[in-house]
Amino acid sequence: MSLKRITKELNDLGRDPPTSCSAGPVGDDVYHWQASIMGPPDSPYAGGVFFLSIHFPTDYPFKPPKIAFTTKIYHPNINANGNICLDILKDQWSPALTISKVLLSICSLLTDANPDDPLVPEIAHIYKTDRAKYEAQAREWTKKYAV
Amino acid sequence: MNYNVSDATDFSHTSIPQLSQLDTLVRCHICKDLLKIPVLTPCSHTFCSLCIREYLTREPKCPLCLSELRESNLRSEFLVNEIIESYRSVRDELLESLKEDQRNNAEKSLIELTDDDNDDDLQIVGTNQKEEVKRDKNEKSVGKVTKPSTSTGLNSLLNSQRDKSKTKEKLAQCPICSNFYPIQALERTHLDECLTMQSLDESTDVKKRTPTPPSPRIKSPKSSSKPKRAVNAKDDISHVDKYLSSFNTGQRRERLPKINFTSMSLSQIKQKLASLSLPTHGSRQNMIARYNHYEVLWNSNFCDAIEPVDESELRRQLASWEASHNPSNGNNGTNIISKMMRRANQGNSYQKLLADFKTDNFQRKSWILMFRKDFKNLIQEAKRSIPRESKTTGSVDNQIAVPENTEKE
Repeated sequence: MSLKRITKELNDLGRDPPTSCSAGPVGDDVYHWQASIMGPPDSPYAGGVFFLSIHFPTDYPFKPPKIAFTTKIYHPNINANGNICLDILKDQWSPALTISKVLLSICSLLTDANPDDPLVPEIAHIYKTDRAKYEAQAREWTKKYAV
Repeated sequence: MNYNVSDATDFSHTSIPQLSQLDTLVRCHICKDLLKIPVLTPCSHTFCSLCIREYLTREPKCPLCLSELRESNLRSEFLVNEIIESYRSVRDELLESLKEDQRNNAEKSLIELTDDDNDDDLQIVGTNQKEEVKRDKNEKSVGKVTKPSTSTGLNSLLNSQRDKSKTKEKLAQCPICSNFYPIQALERTHLDECLTMQSLDESTDVKKRTPTPPSPRIKSPKSSSKPKRAVNAKDDISHVDKYLSSFNTGQRRERLPKINFTSMSLSQIKQKLASLSLPTHGSRQNMIARYNHYEVLWNSNFCDAIEPVDESELRRQLASWEASHNPSNGNNGTNIISKMMRRANQGNSYQKLLADFKTDNFQRKSWILMFRKDFKNLIQEAKRSIPRESKTTGSVDNQIAVPENTEKE
């Protein structure tokens, strides 16, 4: 089941790719994908290209895929290991979701961070108290690691 | 990679792109495939029985609206089931024919195309005409002279029955499939066809329900149109019949209960599995997973399915599931496969087969054919090592386990 569903998602991505995202398997392993997200233009990540790794569990889609940034990014909900704090990747996962939808959610997380449920409290604190400083830092990291 | 994966957007480049909506609606939101044994939730969402039951063993909520949901609240939807099954049976042909239409449209103008036969199709849709045709059929009457329709167009595919009634003047009911055919055609060819179809159907009935793949249909619509149409007509009837007779199936069984394994000893678990004739090997974890999946299969089959299959078939499905979920088995399998792939390097057909490897759709015969050489070598290697050392034979035997099993089947 998982294999068929993953293949289907791959076909769908090829047919109707979501805006500013792309994804596909790494080598022969259908359960291991790589994805890229263009930094949203209305965010401090604009101009950057961010890579992510996607691991599908064998019981996908009953369990959520494991997604992590492989490009360093300065964001209150993404830590130094690239782990993403996003509800739909954890307890709010639904098998009706697809990789395409998840990638779009991650895109909108880049535009609108969620500092009230932070993974990196320091960044969240700066985000809340000194937005300009956060944006400058995020832009700098984007320039440094993602361009 | 793209094996058997159909998608709603298949229709977007045909003459009726709106059909992609229909195609989307009859898909399960979990497996994204056409619904199989659909069940309805109290929140009015529909999923495949197996998909939703499997999901509910993890999360007690509806995947679409996230409202609370229990397995016992699921209700089977026989009508939707038959609607989808009859759709499934014509989908490929429909798609092919609509693509053909589109190609024709690109060449000719639309008016040119419709001037002759499609006119009839259009009229058929109108209520007056429809009733006339219907009456004709009911009275087994004579005399409605319409032009024979060529086999393109949505109507001819969706309403093959109606088509039959308007094809020629004198219609008579086939005693076997109860369809109406022109008398001459009925006498000359149809009776024979129908009889063979019937016997074929009976002999393959058991297999039919098992999720074997529909053999890849890449036939050209022209060459296949005639016999296939007959099959479809038969299918239409049987879906209606199935729906109407679905409420008094005597094959319903008690649902398997959920079991709390935490308080059970290993031998108790084994006993439980043995009482269901399930294998008792593997770790405690494996056995629990085995029971849980069997419970899902069982309840889906005996509570929801319109035509429940035999317990032995369920056990076969369980074994197939286990083969694809046991990580050690899986890795062994793929290792051999990828090695062979590098050697064989047979491109697309290989990819297509491999994609099915872990599913019920796996085509063992083609696999064996493709890797006949490799299997032969492996078997020879294994035989050579038998007299020397038992250790090496063990590992080699493991490797050839795959082909040997497949040969038996």
